[in-house]
Amino acid sequence: MAKDIEVSTAESQFILEALKQNYRLDGRSFEQFRDVKITFGEELGDVLVELGRTKVHCKISSSITEPYEDRPFEGLFFISTESTPMAGPQFESGNNTGEDEVLISRIIEKAVRRSGALDIEGLCIVAGSKCWAVRASVHFLDCDGGFVDASCIAVMTALLHYRKPDITVHGEKIIVHPVDEREPVALGILHIPVCVTSSFFNPVDAEQNIKGEENSEIVLVDATLKEELLREGVLTVTLNKNREVVQVSKAGGLPMDAMTLMECCHRAYDITERITDQILAAVKEDIAKRDKYSAILSSENAR
Amino acid sequence: MSQFEVYSPEGLRMDGRRWNELRRFETSINTHSHAADGSSYLEQGNNKIITLVKGPTEPALRSQLDQTKATLSISVNVTKFSKFERSKSTGNTKNERRILEMQTALVRTFEKNLMLNLYPRTIIDIEIHVLQQDGGILGSLINGITLACIDAGIAMYDYISGVSIGLYDTTPLLDVNSLEEAAMSCVTLGVVGKSEKLSLLQVEDKIPLDRLENVLAIGIAGAHRIRDLMDTALRAHAEKRVLNASKR
Repeated sequence: MAKDIEVSTAESQFILEALKQNYRLDGRSFEQFRDVKITFGEELGDVLVELGRTKVHCKISSSITEPYEDRPFEGLFFISTESTPMAGPQFESGNNTGEDEVLISRIIEKAVRRSGALDIEGLCIVAGSKCWAVRASVHFLDCDGGFVDASCIAVMTALLHYRKPDITVHGEKIIVHPVDEREPVALGILHIPVCVTSSFFNPVDAEQNIKGEENSEIVLVDATLKEELLREGVLTVTLNKNREVVQVSKAGGLPMDAMTLMECCHRAYDITERITDQILAAVKEDIAKRDKYSAILSSENAR
Repeated sequence: MSQFEVYSPEGLRMDGRRWNELRRFETSINTHSHAADGSSYLEQGNNKIITLVKGPTEPALRSQLDQTKATLSISVNVTKFSKFERSKSTGNTKNERRILEMQTALVRTFEKNLMLNLYPRTIIDIEIHVLQQDGGILGSLINGITLACIDAGIAMYDYISGVSIGLYDTTPLLDVNSLEEAAMSCVTLGVVGKSEKLSLLQVEDKIPLDRLENVLAIGIAGAHRIRDLMDTALRAHAEKRVLNASKR
């Protein structure tokens, strides 16, 4: 990933030697995804996701604007990823044209926006003149590897958690009801993509990797920053619970056997299933906590 | 698009190919013998690509100097007239995220395949001009670079051949053109030589997980065929050059 921080020769040899003996520095097994911690902020659509020591914050905001001329029935949806030196010395502020920044934001864009995770047709208010613009701002707060995975979870959790103000339409006139007047409405989420990143290490020399038969490459799921700095190849798979591959990106790096890559995809599916459940449970719990008047307003009775 | 049938019940595609057929694949090698150390012109279907390899040379900037291996830099220039409709974007296309992503992917693909450690303290500069594009562009770029690098005489472990495969319902379609690319989800592969090793793998749209394996298998077979086509073209070119050299 970063160019500015380097792992010392002694440490990199130690990590690689440990990997050859089936040990990871943090004691995880090779296929183990770090525990995900999801915390909600004060407002709706304000989420902090922690993946080990990686911290990503996502906030959803919305406003009413004019739709694009060529797509009058669709609302707007933007994802902006912001990396500042806060996340680590390897990030420059204001410069997001670095190789890794571009790859990270492109993968999140493909995973969430282009896959149609958010129902943008549902954001249309008056065809051709008014629609909702939903913006997800992702901020990287602390970096210990797995930015793509953490941001994808953060964006999806925030979208599921967000409620936009209710509106009524009278012809061309729109009334936006304040949140304390009318219950705000949830966004239409069509599926929940989850990214899982696998990193590849080559324990033998380059010729063995390309010409050899044995496929002895080491595959790690969810690498930490140090592992990311040392890895030779990376594969990010995005899946959803419907067994659909949303996006796969292996932009070069160590050549890997096709069957090994398929195994990575299947392994990613198990992780995806677990994380999807966790996201849904976390959102449900938090929304229930906020919904303090439902008991009073409900007409349900003991019978 | 209703007048087109992506894949007819008879098993024919829009341009008359069957599901497992590649497009026309024609190359010329060493097209720019004065301008560059290695060059190729590739026509893969309607994709037309010029690739120039300059180097290994001394780097212009100190920052490009690596004591242990050669620095690889790839710049992709997608011309504004390369599509059916002229690109309306003003300014430089080079800073578009899509192009930047493509360049990074290409650099990372070839970094592992060129023996850069043999050329320390130098830079290898690869310049690509896309004159016309018609789907599966990333795969064609990979093929163009492979040919030009071989022409430049840069040591490589093996050929890398790129190809795109679409998935139409349950049928994988090899080497998609732009109409097919727009109509279905596609996978781009970069395969190393005659092996089953993938250097590059990109899926941009939804594909059922259980179909992916099938698509990869077709793609690898197609990439092997492209490798053979490149090999034949290179050998024919080399023979011609040897003949010319002995005449003198």
